[in-house]
Amino acid sequence: MKQIKGQKSKIENALGKKIGEVIESRSAEFIGQCYKLDEAPPLGCLIKTQDKSGVTYGVVFDVETHSLEPGRRVVARGENLESEEEVFAANPQLSRLLATDFKVLVVGYTEGKDCHHYLPPRSASIHSFVYICQLEEVRIFTGSTDFLSLIINARIDVPVDEVVAACLRYASEAHVDRDAFLVGAGKELARMLSGDANRLNSLLKRIK
Amino acid sequence: MSLDLSKLVGQIIDLAASLKSKSGEKQAKIEFALKSLRSSAVDLDALKKKIESSKTTWLIASPRESVDLHLTPPTCPDDFIVLASDGSHIDVDRHQSAHCFLINIGIVQLQYGRNPDAQLLNFPYLYYKDEDVSINSADGRKIPIEGQLLGIKRSIEECHLLAERAQVLDSGLPVVSLLDGSLILWRLAEQVYPDFVIRELLVDGFLKYMNQLKELSRSRPLALASYISYPRSTDVVNLLRLAVCPHLPVDCDRHCAGKFVSKECDVLNGVLDRDLFWYLLAPEERSAVYSSSSSVVSKYYGDSEVNFFYVRLDGEVARVEIPLWVAESEKLVGLVHSTILDQCRRGLGYPVSLSEAHEQAVINTSGRQQFWALVEQILVDDGVSISGSAKSESKRTRWI
Repeated sequence: MKQIKGQKSKIENALGKKIGEVIESRSAEFIGQCYKLDEAPPLGCLIKTQDKSGVTYGVVFDVETHSLEPGRRVVARGENLESEEEVFAANPQLSRLLATDFKVLVVGYTEGKDCHHYLPPRSASIHSFVYICQLEEVRIFTGSTDFLSLIINARIDVPVDEVVAACLRYASEAHVDRDAFLVGAGKELARMLSGDANRLNSLLKRIK
Repeated sequence: MSLDLSKLVGQIIDLAASLKSKSGEKQAKIEFALKSLRSSAVDLDALKKKIESSKTTWLIASPRESVDLHLTPPTCPDDFIVLASDGSHIDVDRHQSAHCFLINIGIVQLQYGRNPDAQLLNFPYLYYKDEDVSINSADGRKIPIEGQLLGIKRSIEECHLLAERAQVLDSGLPVVSLLDGSLILWRLAEQVYPDFVIRELLVDGFLKYMNQLKELSRSRPLALASYISYPRSTDVVNLLRLAVCPHLPVDCDRHCAGKFVSKECDVLNGVLDRDLFWYLLAPEERSAVYSSSSSVVSKYYGDSEVNFFYVRLDGEVARVEIPLWVAESEKLVGLVHSTILDQCRRGLGYPVSLSEAHEQAVINTSGRQQFWALVEQILVDDGVSISGSAKSESKRTRWI
């Protein structure tokens, strides 16, 4: 995985691990809450959640760390401290009062042995655990880029093209032939954005 | 109809002017109080004798140390734990069909140093059984727990859960257990309650849990303290009243009862202990430790006799109350002093542990409404017949 140094090992360690659980769920999106503060999966990361009806796959499109209690604002505390770690050591209650949430676009699901790249019939179950997909799973799921239309057409607060590009860069690391994967994905994007050359160019630059 | 503020503006302006005109007069009184405090310190033994022989109508602080003492804090330990407790309650609502009340206690455990950690907990408990919602005497008398008595019950539960939490701490680090408000259950003294009520609430309740903490302190460095922000107490100023009194022995009823001309001690009227110590103490310093002469303390508290000192923080003087077994240990007084200052620094002026305990305990208006709605819903689901008052219904549905 070609991530920023430091983040790389964190993500590699997290592959396949349970990182949080679903706290809000709709057909096309869900929100997961991390078990550990600031340990959210990166933008564009493929994650999954499983319940009785099968596995739901999703792409992380937004991460937010916030106060757990509405009306209580976070205040700056580190003016006289040397490091950010010291802020938490001097105020151990912070880790109990803050939470990191990540928003996920649902991009597919499995039903028995079949993998579909469109929305599942049911939304992800509340409190179902969220895992970062193993590389092999990323490779298999993104073997088809049909899921891209779900992201391209999503109405979200984050620039959609940034999410598409982040997702493709992330997924490309799981493929043996990274360039071939990106060329295939680029062709798929060209088909979807055939009427908007500027947007397509801008997006393609982001996945090089 | 909402409050018509436009009718109040003029009155508020008058209030501000009145306060302004009194400030010069008050400053002169504070300076006199400071002078009296310093001169009283010269002969502490004489002052103590004067206290012992006095008969006054006010509470007088009895000094354990020199009255003008102002002491910087010792260094805070590298590793330590602060336990804090606070509570809130939903009183019995006679307009509701279910006779019950709720006490919610917030407990916070903060560990500082090499292994920082935090536990933020809350314990809501519903009281509805006959034996829970009233205090019963052996001869069949029943005093319902509601209103003021419920406030006292809540204070007891705050101390109860604090002691329980302290008992399960498995680390040997120094611990400061903090309560919000006074260690003196004033409200028990304010009204005449039958002896069995005082026994159950105080002797078999609050004092029992204070004693559990005392027992724990035998095997580890553990202190109990309560924190009063912006205190209105005058125990030390009253001591100065006694110091400036020309009568010996001091006997208010004998010498000054019904006196219409001004008395010598009137010069201290309106001065609070916090005014005095704001000028006597430098930032972070504490005052001498004093013991309280409250009648409820002297009658019931015994070994847990309440002592107190004042500490100057950045923006105010706070009162810290400690039981006798803490006051008698210089180390524990130092631990409380340094920890309170450290907590206030971390909490932007107020002990962070108490502030978080409050956050765990507080029940806001919507929480209260949701609670009664849930009670009603479950009673209906279970087929229990409910009938609220017409007044309660009328408040819920506002109409014109």
